Amino acid sequence: MLAVEARGLTKDYDIKKDGQRAHLRAVDNLDLAINKSEIYSLLGPNGAGKTTTTRLLTSILQPSVGGAKILGYDIVEDASTVRSNVGLLTETPALYERLTVRQNLEFIARLYDIPKEDIKPRVEELVDLFDLSDKIDLPSGSLSKGMRQKVAIARAMIHDPPVIFLDEPTASLAPESAKIVREQIMKLSKLEARTFFICTHNLFEAERLSSRVGIINHGKLIAEGSPEQLRDLRKDETMTVFRFSVWDDVIQNFFQERHYEVLEIKPERKSISIFINDIEKETPTIIEELIKQNFPMFEVRHEYPTLERIYLDLVQSENLPRNQEEESS
Amino acid sequence: MNWRRIWALTKKDLMEFTKSKYVLSAVIGIPLLFAILMPLGTILPIAKANPADFEGEGLGGFIDNLFSKTIDDWASLSMHTQTLIMLAYAMFIVVLMLPIIIPAVTASETIVGEKERKTMEAILASPITETEIVFAKIISSLIPSFFATFISAAGYIILIDIMLFPFLGYLLFPDFLSIIFVLVFGPMFSIISVELMIMISTKVKSVRDSYQIGSLVVLPLIMLIGAEMFSFFFNTVLTLIIGLAVMLVIIFILFKFATNIFNREKAITKMI
Ligand SMILES: Nc1ncnc2c1ncn2[C@@H]1O[C@H](COP(=O)(O)OP(=O)(O)O)[C@@H](O)[C@H]1O
Ligand SMILES: [Mg+2]
Repeated sequence: MLAVEARGLTKDYDIKKDGQRAHLRAVDNLDLAINKSEIYSLLGPNGAGKTTTTRLLTSILQPSVGGAKILGYDIVEDASTVRSNVGLLTETPALYERLTVRQNLEFIARLYDIPKEDIKPRVEELVDLFDLSDKIDLPSGSLSKGMRQKVAIARAMIHDPPVIFLDEPTASLAPESAKIVREQIMKLSKLEARTFFICTHNLFEAERLSSRVGIINHGKLIAEGSPEQLRDLRKDETMTVFRFSVWDDVIQNFFQERHYEVLEIKPERKSISIFINDIEKETPTIIEELIKQNFPMFEVRHEYPTLERIYLDLVQSENLPRNQEEESS
Repeated sequence: MNWRRIWALTKKDLMEFTKSKYVLSAVIGIPLLFAILMPLGTILPIAKANPADFEGEGLGGFIDNLFSKTIDDWASLSMHTQTLIMLAYAMFIVVLMLPIIIPAVTASETIVGEKERKTMEAILASPITETEIVFAKIISSLIPSFFATFISAAGYIILIDIMLFPFLGYLLFPDFLSIIFVLVFGPMFSIISVELMIMISTKVKSVRDSYQIGSLVVLPLIMLIGAEMFSFFFNTVLTLIIGLAVMLVIIFILFKFATNIFNREKAITKMI
């Protein structure tokens, strides 16, 4: 059984445009299949529909078309069961700042019907896990942003949900806090088999945290796969660079005779860049021949297109940027 | 209906109230002003005045009619004492504004407060139902008002009895009217007040805006409770029953509206 399964998931918001009622399609025909204990990132720019997707999958919003199942439970039919089985870190951490960390967590624990006698130990266990034990009785408003975010993640996990949604877990944080929170998420994901669904607009975060990334833009999933698979999308843009101790123009001939496309020659760096169709098979042969012919080659490397480049290409090639002003009122 | 979840939300709200200076000043300050300072300021000077100044023409047929129904020995009382009794009842309406005003403050704080601070989404992500949320919000907004009203009414009653006993020779309050209004009508008006605040909560963005609009919303309610009390003088049993029935219907209808607003879809798109 899949942890998250979406089929044609679609959400239209009612909006006012030029005084007229209109629809805004925030999530467009999304298909997702996420296995148990997978760490999946939904990556996309602001307004791409990540938060809306999360709210649909956590049974807060209802789909306009299509549907989804969490651990086999329908997000509409079995909404209440879905809610008990998922944890949600909302985009804004929004704790009750006047209440202490403990009070914040105990309150949510009761909303999830955790038995009375289990609440205190559960709260203390989580606070310990997040290294916040010495802050437990302080008002949450007095904590740093990073710590508050950790409390908010702890809150999302209070009922030990098998599927956890984290909506932009580090977006509002300074780099140091973001790093701490990221490490915490990695630690959690290794601790127990749990499914994580992370929304982010930060590519490096998606790459570091997750085993699989879905790229969303304008509500549509435009690419999906492991970071390696996504890189493979632009495999044909991999360039192989050879460097030599002494530059000689015959080097160029060597490659051209063998019908390799020469992409770049930098005599000052004594390097030549070529395109190789089947890197794994052809590279060893080339190296062998170069050495046989006594070319003083001292370096060979493949320059894969960066994930960032692929991501930007994908997102930008999708028509013009959409008006971001249509935020919720 | 899961009462544990309702109580969890209520308890959380109450804890937040004790840390909010707006709520604390409303729950302590307004009763002090309405139930103690204002009555003292109006009734005490009259009590201290020279009774002779009040003799002359009667208070008028209408007022005589009104009070002779509730006060047995009305006709035999001096004009001075009659004026004091009249004021005591008039100021009692002021005390009864408390169960309308205080819930408007507490409801703004907990409902619009959750909206302003964006804390509602975590609640909506949990299994709590919409009806449970509305119930909890009504109860938590009601509790401070109920206690404040009860204590203020007790204070007011003691104050009036101390001031009027020398003239009357018996205790004016608590009478049937004051008990019914403090214990039954007061909480009912509180519920309506909270329900109205829930309805305006989708339209306002901040707790401050909510206070402002709220102060307009409570006006008709204050007029209604005044009218209710007035008619009570004329026909005790019948108006009581009709009044209660009307209030119950209003409470029920507004409850439906309020739960509709807390429908997750609406709450998330309009309140967050
Ligand atoms: N409550 C709402 N009403 C109308 N439009 C909305 C609402 N919430 C989000 N949107 C719009 O839906 C689109 C997707 O938003 P969102 O899911 O928040 O994207 P993301 O989380 O990826 O930034 C955006 O264009 C946004 O303006
Ligand atoms: Mg978002």
